[in-house]
Amino acid sequence: MADVLIADDSEFMRNLLREILEEDHEIVDEVENGVEAVEVFNEHEPDLVMMDIVMPIRDGIEATDEIKTNHPGANVIMCTSVGQEEKMKEAVKAGADGYITKPFQKPSVIEAIQDVVPT
Amino acid sequence: MQVDVQSLGTFNRLAHEGAEQATSALAQMTGIDAAVEVTKISLVDRADLGEELGDDDYVGVQFDFEGAMAGETVLVFESASSTEIAESLLGDVDTDAMARSSVEELGNIMMSGFIDGWADYLDAPIDHSPPTSFERAGSAVLPEAPADGDRDQVFVFRSQIEWVEETVGFYIYMLPAYDALTELVSEQAAAAEDAIPVEKLEVFNRMNRQGARTAAAHVGEMTGIDVSAEVTQISFCPIEDVPRQVGEETYVGTAVEFTGLPSGYLLVLFDEPSAVNVAEALLPVAPDGDGLTEDHEAAIEELGNIMTSGFVDGWANVLQQSVDHTPPRLVHDMGRAILDPIAAQLGQHQQHAFVVDATMQTDEVAVRSEIHALPNEAELRSALEALDVDRADQTDADVDQIF
Repeated sequence: MADVLIADDSEFMRNLLREILEEDHEIVDEVENGVEAVEVFNEHEPDLVMMDIVMPIRDGIEATDEIKTNHPGANVIMCTSVGQEEKMKEAVKAGADGYITKPFQKPSVIEAIQDVVPT
Repeated sequence: MQVDVQSLGTFNRLAHEGAEQATSALAQMTGIDAAVEVTKISLVDRADLGEELGDDDYVGVQFDFEGAMAGETVLVFESASSTEIAESLLGDVDTDAMARSSVEELGNIMMSGFIDGWADYLDAPIDHSPPTSFERAGSAVLPEAPADGDRDQVFVFRSQIEWVEETVGFYIYMLPAYDALTELVSEQAAAAEDAIPVEKLEVFNRMNRQGARTAAAHVGEMTGIDVSAEVTQISFCPIEDVPRQVGEETYVGTAVEFTGLPSGYLLVLFDEPSAVNVAEALLPVAPDGDGLTEDHEAAIEELGNIMTSGFVDGWANVLQQSVDHTPPRLVHDMGRAILDPIAAQLGQHQQHAFVVDATMQTDEVAVRSEIHALPNEAELRSALEALDVDRADQTDADVDQIF
C-alpha cells in the first residue's frame, strides 16, 4: 500500500482517481493546484503523487520539477489530458516517472503505479 | 497556391453585400422584412456541405455562372415559408405551380443582384444560366458535385438570412469553382504579406478533423456513448460576426485560452439537454436535484478539458511544439453571449477571424456537441508557414516511447 497525493483541479477527476486508488492505497490528501501539491508533499512526503498538468496558479510540470529537485526520490506520475510529445518531454525533464493520458481506465492506472511503486 | 487574408476579407464583404442586395430585392417585391445574419467563407469537406440545413424541406433556385468568376450558386427558402412568399408577391395563390413560378422568379431577381456585385468589383462580366427551381430536403438542395469534382474540400460562401420577427429563414450558397477562386485570389496574394498557402489550410482542416475524432473518441471512452465527429470546417468572417456562428440557444460547456503557435480560444459546447445526458453518463451515481447540478457541471468541466486536449494536441504534435491551455472555465449562457467577450478580446488585434468548427453527435443518446476554435489570425498564418505537410498525420504522441 502506497501513500498517494492526488493533485488535480477537477473535483470530478479527483473523485474518480480516489475511487480507483483507495482500495489498495492510502490517499494522504487531494489538492487543486501545483502550489498546494508542493506544500502538501513537503508536509507528508507521500510515496507517490498523481499529478495533473493543466492546473491554475502553478501547473503540474513546474510542481513536479520543484518536488523532484528537493526530493530526488519522490515518485510522480503525470495524470493529464495533454497528449503532446513536447509536454511529455518537459515532464521527463522535470523528473516525472510516468505519464497517463485521460481518459483512462482503471487497469492503466494500476499498471502505471506498479511500474513506479512496485509492491 | 496562396490566398491572402485581405482578399478573403474583401470577398467575404462582397458576398455579404450581395446577400444584402438580394435581401433588399426580396423586401421590395414582397414587403417581407429580412436581414442578413451572417456571411462567411468556409473551407469544408464537400460531403459535409449543407449540414446546417438538417432534414428540413426547402424550395429554391440554382444557377451556374461563368466569366470573371465561375461556379454555382443556390438560394433556398424553407418550404413552409414559400407559400407566404408567393402570397406576398401575388395575393392569393391558386396552384402550387404558380407558387413555384413566383418563387423561381423572385430567386432569379435576388440572385442577379448577388452576382452583379461580384462582376462590378471584378470589373468584368459574369454570366449566369437561367434559374433551375427545385424542392428538396436538407443538403440535397446543393449541387451534386463541385465543378472540379476530384477535390475533397471546397470553398463556399454562405449567407444566412432571417426574416425579422419570424423564425423562418433562407440561405444563399455560392460555390465558386476552386481553381477560379484561388487563381483570382492568388493574383493579389503573390504580393501580400498575409498570404496563406491553400494546400496547408486544407491540411490543417484535415488535422482538425482528426482532432475532432480524437475528442469524440474521448467522450466515448468516458461515457460509453458512441459519439462520432460529424463536420469540421474552417470559416473566415469579420470578427463582429463571430458570435453569430453559434445559435441563440443556451449552451453549457468550457472555454479555454490556449497559448503557443497559434494562441487563441477554444470552446466545447453542449446544448442543455445534451449536457445533462453526457454528464449523467459520466457520473457513477445520478446526482440529486433537477436540471444541471454542480455535479453535472464538474463532469462537463472535466469532459471539456479532455476534449480540448484531444483537439489541440494534434496541432502541437504535428508542429513539434507545445500548445498550453488554461484550466477550463465553465460557461453556461446563450451561445452568442458566450462568444461575445472572446470575439472582443480577439478584435483588439484583428479585424477578421478564422473559426475552426467541429460538431459531433450520436443517435444512441441525445448528445450534440460543438467545438469552436478561434486562433489568433497572424499566429495561425505563422503556424501554417511552419507546418510540414509530410508530418500532417502525426497527430498522436507515443507515451511509451518517451517514458
